[in-house]
Amino acid sequence: MDIKKVNIEGNTLEIRNLVIEYVSDDEVVKAVNNVNIIIGSGKTLGLVGETGAGKTTTALSILNLVPGPQGKIVSGEVLLEGKNVLTMSEHELEELRGDKVAMIFQDPMTSLNPVLTVGDQIAEGLEIHRKISKKEALKQAKEMLELVGIPADRAGEYPYQFSGGMKQRVVIAIALACSPDLLIADEPTTALDVTIQAQVLLLINKLKKKYHMSMLMITHDLGIVAEVCDEVSVVYAGHIIEHGTLEDIFDNLRHPYTKGLFDALPNIEARRSELKPIKGLMPDPTNLPSGCPFHPRCDYVMDVCTKVLPENKWLSDTHRVQCHLYKDTNNSML
Amino acid sequence: MEDTAKKITTKKEFFKQYKKKSRLQEIWKMFLKNKLAVIGLIIFIIIVLVAITAPLIANYDNEAIKINVPNRLKSPNSEHILGTDELGRDIFARIVHGSRISLIVGLSSVAVALFIGGAFGAIAGFFGGTVDNIIMRCMDVFLCLPDVLLALAILAAFGTNLVNMTIAIGLSFTPKFSRVVRSAVMTVRGIEYVEAARAIGATNVQIITKHILINCIGPIIVQVTLYVASAILTISSLSFIGLGIQAPIPEWGNMLASGRAFMRDHAYIVMAPGLAIFITILSLNLLGDGLRDALDPRLKQ
Repeated sequence: MDIKKVNIEGNTLEIRNLVIEYVSDDEVVKAVNNVNIIIGSGKTLGLVGETGAGKTTTALSILNLVPGPQGKIVSGEVLLEGKNVLTMSEHELEELRGDKVAMIFQDPMTSLNPVLTVGDQIAEGLEIHRKISKKEALKQAKEMLELVGIPADRAGEYPYQFSGGMKQRVVIAIALACSPDLLIADEPTTALDVTIQAQVLLLINKLKKKYHMSMLMITHDLGIVAEVCDEVSVVYAGHIIEHGTLEDIFDNLRHPYTKGLFDALPNIEARRSELKPIKGLMPDPTNLPSGCPFHPRCDYVMDVCTKVLPENKWLSDTHRVQCHLYKDTNNSML
Repeated sequence: MEDTAKKITTKKEFFKQYKKKSRLQEIWKMFLKNKLAVIGLIIFIIIVLVAITAPLIANYDNEAIKINVPNRLKSPNSEHILGTDELGRDIFARIVHGSRISLIVGLSSVAVALFIGGAFGAIAGFFGGTVDNIIMRCMDVFLCLPDVLLALAILAAFGTNLVNMTIAIGLSFTPKFSRVVRSAVMTVRGIEYVEAARAIGATNVQIITKHILINCIGPIIVQVTLYVASAILTISSLSFIGLGIQAPIPEWGNMLASGRAFMRDHAYIVMAPGLAIFITILSLNLLGDGLRDALDPRLKQ
């Protein structure tokens, strides 16, 4: 399509023209619409957007875990080191999950099995993928616990004996146990309070560098993006409406929706200024507006916006935006 | 200084000790907190011990089987603590020996039901959709028949003996277990840790056995204890209507049946087996409730 970047060797993940729908009896939810994502080796991409924008669905497609039978991957490719995940057999997928790609789930309270010890849960992935004995796996599990800052002798304890932040560390240890090439972090700090958030982010950053992992960070918190990511994709109603490096998005944002997101953040230097919410609500995903999905809420709406879906415009080598306000040159109307 | 250091090490050791405690010990501790459950367990253990040591307590041939007409319908006295029945047999001896059949058939029929019903229920609940529909509609067909009727049909077709009775009761309970296990599996299936297990590459079999069933243990245990009670009741019902354990062999149900003609004048004849059934079932229900609370780690502290 209109992706200018051609396949560069060494990309960990490439998602091309991905379309995912949830089909129920009488309606179709268009969760992901033509999403393109490239994550280079060792790089971190932030996927930012509101609840229901299709962030998690995109992430699940990387493991081919889009919940069936309603969830359907209509078209597109998900290439992990050049191999298409969507055409793999169940057996190939099982070998891939947890070994090459691991996922940190949103809520550590529910993503740990309450009746297994944390040691067992970390060891499980090792047993499956490394084909080692239970004893050896447990030994490595203890090392993983130490790595995330939990004393190894707590491996025999159950999740209820841990606090929220420690549980999330355990979840991280599970994800990293097999040292994956790609780590998907699905809002890893949403369920945690701010001080623990900072610790967990620090930990993720440290381990990412140590193992030279690529990472897909899903979040709705722009602060986290600034902290961890190299590149940012802003998702709205299943479309990536703006993509760029951290500098492109934070210092040089172009899309009215991205602008809206930043305007809605409190500013520590101008305490008296009011927050500007984006007017309206997310569109109903079963009935997306014609043309640009953002046009009913957009302050800069034009006639063309209501009729034609904007194409990707490349503003620089790294920065692309899906908006009619821009021609292919770097103009700044905002 | 030295004192505090010493204190800290002992404290450390104390916590170490605390942490070293195995999961079983913790469950046991929780279980002991529930007084009613402990009473249930004690009663059940006594019943099991009585069943095991029955030949030592009362002579089977002389006291439980042998007809002794001159001695019939004796009220409880020092020689026969529960009296004698219409054929002069000692009721206490018959109750004691009757417990063996109730327990063996009760436990093994529930084992049959749990194994078959549990397997089908887990598969149906885990995969959902068409598989679920096919399995559960078949189970519904069985569920349409009252369990005593289903057991009756099987016994009438294959003859009455202990093995057939176990299978008959087991099969008639199968659909109930499949329903319970299915619903338990379905609630657990949607929880994030199952998705997390899938995300680290666990296979379906590993997910069902390691992550799902172990989290369903609470409702399953409760059902097991309740249905052991229910199975004991079914055995007694079958014997009561004459299709279960046959005449000279002592069984609580057929004791009730043969005693009911004399109920007006000699109430103790039916009271004893009735109480035996009642106490056994009560103890199992108390035990089941206690186990459920103890096995659920979410209820801890």
